[in-house]
Amino acid sequence: MTVRQMDWDFSKRGQEDVARHQKKIKDSIRENIADVISEESIISRKKGQTVKIPIRGIKSYQFIYGKRKGGEGGGGYGLGHGKKDKGDVIGRRPAPNGEGQGPGKGGKPADAAGEDYMETEVDIEELIQMMMDDLQLPDLRRKEIAETLVPSGWSFEEVEKHGLKPNLDKKRSFRNALKRSADSVSKLSEKTGKPMDICQKALNKFKGDYQKALELLQRENPEAELEDEEDKLKPYIQHGDLRYRVPKENVESHSNAVILAMMDVSGSMSTTKKYLARSFFFWMVEFLKHKYRNVEIRFIAHTSEAKLVDEEEFFHKGESGGTTCASAYDLACQLIDTDYPPAKWNIYAFHFSDGEDWDPAKTMVSVKRLLERNPNMVGYGEIRTEVAYGQQLMRNFEESFSLERYTSYRDSDFEYYLGQRAEMPLAGVILKNKGHVYPALKVFFSKEKKV
Amino acid sequence: MSDSREKDEIKRLVRADSHIQKIVGEYGLDCFPQEFDVIPAQKMLEIMSYNLPVNYSHWSFGRDYEKQRTQYEYSGGIPYEVVLNSNPSRAFLMKTNPYPIQVLVMAHVYGHNDFMKNNIYFGRTRRDMLTSASESAGRLRKYEEDYGIDEVERLIDAAQAIQMHIEADLFQESAIEPESSEPKRRPPKVGTPFGDLFDFDGQLNVKSFEEKREEARKLKKKIPAEPDPDMMGFIMRHSPRGFEEWELDVLSVIRDQSIYFMPQRKTKVMNEGWASFWHMRLMSRLFQDGFLTPEEHGFYNLYNARVLASNPFGLNPYLLGIKTFLNIEKRYNAGQFGPEWERSESPDKWKMDLNMGKGMEKVFEVRRTHMDWFFLDEFMNHEVVEDSELYIFGSKQQGNVEEFTVEEKNWSTIKDLIVRSFAHSGVPLIKVTDGDYGGKRELFLKHFYDGLTLEEEYARQTLRHVHTLWDRPVHLETVEAEGNSETSIQLTYDGKGFSKVNLGTYVAQ
Repeated sequence: MTVRQMDWDFSKRGQEDVARHQKKIKDSIRENIADVISEESIISRKKGQTVKIPIRGIKSYQFIYGKRKGGEGGGGYGLGHGKKDKGDVIGRRPAPNGEGQGPGKGGKPADAAGEDYMETEVDIEELIQMMMDDLQLPDLRRKEIAETLVPSGWSFEEVEKHGLKPNLDKKRSFRNALKRSADSVSKLSEKTGKPMDICQKALNKFKGDYQKALELLQRENPEAELEDEEDKLKPYIQHGDLRYRVPKENVESHSNAVILAMMDVSGSMSTTKKYLARSFFFWMVEFLKHKYRNVEIRFIAHTSEAKLVDEEEFFHKGESGGTTCASAYDLACQLIDTDYPPAKWNIYAFHFSDGEDWDPAKTMVSVKRLLERNPNMVGYGEIRTEVAYGQQLMRNFEESFSLERYTSYRDSDFEYYLGQRAEMPLAGVILKNKGHVYPALKVFFSKEKKV
Repeated sequence: MSDSREKDEIKRLVRADSHIQKIVGEYGLDCFPQEFDVIPAQKMLEIMSYNLPVNYSHWSFGRDYEKQRTQYEYSGGIPYEVVLNSNPSRAFLMKTNPYPIQVLVMAHVYGHNDFMKNNIYFGRTRRDMLTSASESAGRLRKYEEDYGIDEVERLIDAAQAIQMHIEADLFQESAIEPESSEPKRRPPKVGTPFGDLFDFDGQLNVKSFEEKREEARKLKKKIPAEPDPDMMGFIMRHSPRGFEEWELDVLSVIRDQSIYFMPQRKTKVMNEGWASFWHMRLMSRLFQDGFLTPEEHGFYNLYNARVLASNPFGLNPYLLGIKTFLNIEKRYNAGQFGPEWERSESPDKWKMDLNMGKGMEKVFEVRRTHMDWFFLDEFMNHEVVEDSELYIFGSKQQGNVEEFTVEEKNWSTIKDLIVRSFAHSGVPLIKVTDGDYGGKRELFLKHFYDGLTLEEEYARQTLRHVHTLWDRPVHLETVEAEGNSETSIQLTYDGKGFSKVNLGTYVAQ
């Protein structure tokens, strides 16, 4: 017979190879975490904890021909079949973005083979875990949530057997005495075999004296002597029944963090620049959620004046006007004073601008005021996606707070500035491209004041 | 499906198969004995991604399997066909496919069977690859246990990167001989599938390289004396790294498989064209002879149309192949051939019909003697290009949209592009020109540029893999093109980083 049925199934080895490939994808994400976390698809995800991100596919490299160039349109070209005439449009797709970092630069439509990137699904939680490993942060999932204890007035919750007369807890003392009387009656009844009401009368006759009541009840015909006594349960307070209240200072436990997000929204802050800030804030919130039970974020947009806005307005609306950074820091101080007392809140204040400021001296004064409010972290990010010219507010930070400048060549020349004293929780970063978001997060986490 | 229905279905397939065998003989096809295995979908996808029913383990196969599975899940039933170049010929049918598709695949497979038995490029392939692959899979698994999965993987990664560069000279018979089991040379030692890499005394040929090196230096000659297209073989024999036995075995396994699949790579268009040419005839006969109901025949027609469908963004080898064969058949039946006909410039020559009936004879001859490159070069004419509705498209950016438009319908421009991309079975021609570059045992590779440039990122990453195998700096000479100017460059990887030297620019006037 030349046709036969074989019930083979996918082999175990095959499953292992699938798993091995999956692991390589994870490794690739880990290696390219700086690029991965700044993917637009992550922060613009609709909902849910998984996102699709393009990663450099795990490719089998060989010597291959390059994408052909030089068609009339200047893009790539290829061969196809169909009833078409010269000039007919055979397909369209969204143009690859101009930044040159995304997938699918030029070349064929997505349904054709040979894409350099492939999409894979990852869990945001998994990305955070990878970052924590990389940042060498302790595993915050397993660690206790960071808590702050705050006094919240006085109360008498505990009682003791000794104390000052004014603190005597009469109710509790009375109750103790009553309870002791009832116990005595039961014991008397048990020992003598007399009914409870007789025992109660005996106890009442001797004003609670157990020994005397017992002696009476053990004599012949005690009922005769007890005729006039009441059989009602009465408290006979003894010294041991007294309870005194202890005044105590109360403490509440809090696990709150607030991010005060400040940003220059004047015309010079382009969408690309705002995008870097948005990506940064997204991850900052995700990180802090691992550390605090309650994380809030407030948005302070400023031009020459600062105002509280919602997230949508903060990231998407531009305004005309000048640039006075001090206004944002002043509003942040005000918010702390009214809504976020540092005793109850861990405060993280970050400000992003492109370096322009009409009154840097004033800004430095406001930054100092903010630092006096004991925040966990004050960060300043200067976004320079274009070649920097003009004013650079970072210089003022550097001088006023004696920040030290560092360059990380590993992270494509990422520059950052740190306060030199441990008690100065101030850091600055220069963001030139998407790849700088991740090292910026790193800087702030290493600089954060230990709680 | 219930057991009895399954059995009935198999019985029906067996009947169809014996009828196909009969017609195949009548038509003059010359096949190996044919075996069909009906297998579950998962196994089918596995064979497709591993190239063979049992093969060594590697992550790239796992990746391909996942890709296949996604495609399968999205598209639903596809008339997948897998036929192995072996004697007897073995082919697989996917259990979930309905009867008319199974019969279509069977008919198609007989075309491949005939092709692989008779095409001269298949003449010297080993027909026992299935057993061999399954044995080597066992050995490689053992190496993973002994030397670590990462170590083995690194070697496979590197070997796969250069597996296409085995022997590109098509006119040398040795081109399609497996390096590892060549009987004319000394018999390999028992248990070593790479015996020919050793001298008689069991010493690696590295020693002879040293001798050759001295000799070559005296004569001021290079090693190799002539540029060697067999990059993989050269590296296995001469790498200064010095391979251990197991490493040579791994390299040999990959090299042998690449050699085994080479004829299929060289004849993709012809092989699929030939198989489609025959399945259409065979299916009509089966319908006439009552092996398909009209309904089933309609179903077949639907799927056949899909196989031969126009892909707006890529070349369909089935379509181009069958159109070319049909055109050859038509022309030779009509007498549209011969030097006089070729020379004629009259457009009427395409309408001439001398009723010579030489079509069938010619297509059988071509299926024996040609491979894609020459097949397309010789037989793709304006009729074939027009029949298969070929065009060249280009892309340009229109605001936020990238737009693809048909830019070229001129048949000779299209033919030129296709023939060029089928040269050397689509693998850029890169030869070893010096195994002792600069007198420092560095490896020099030269890309023989023919108008198509290399993908630079791929070239770089592949050079890294070459370095893994050579362990000394490796160089690649190639060409970069921009507009009208072409620049010759030398790309070097020394194990730490890349450097690029400009060797001169040529600007076309």
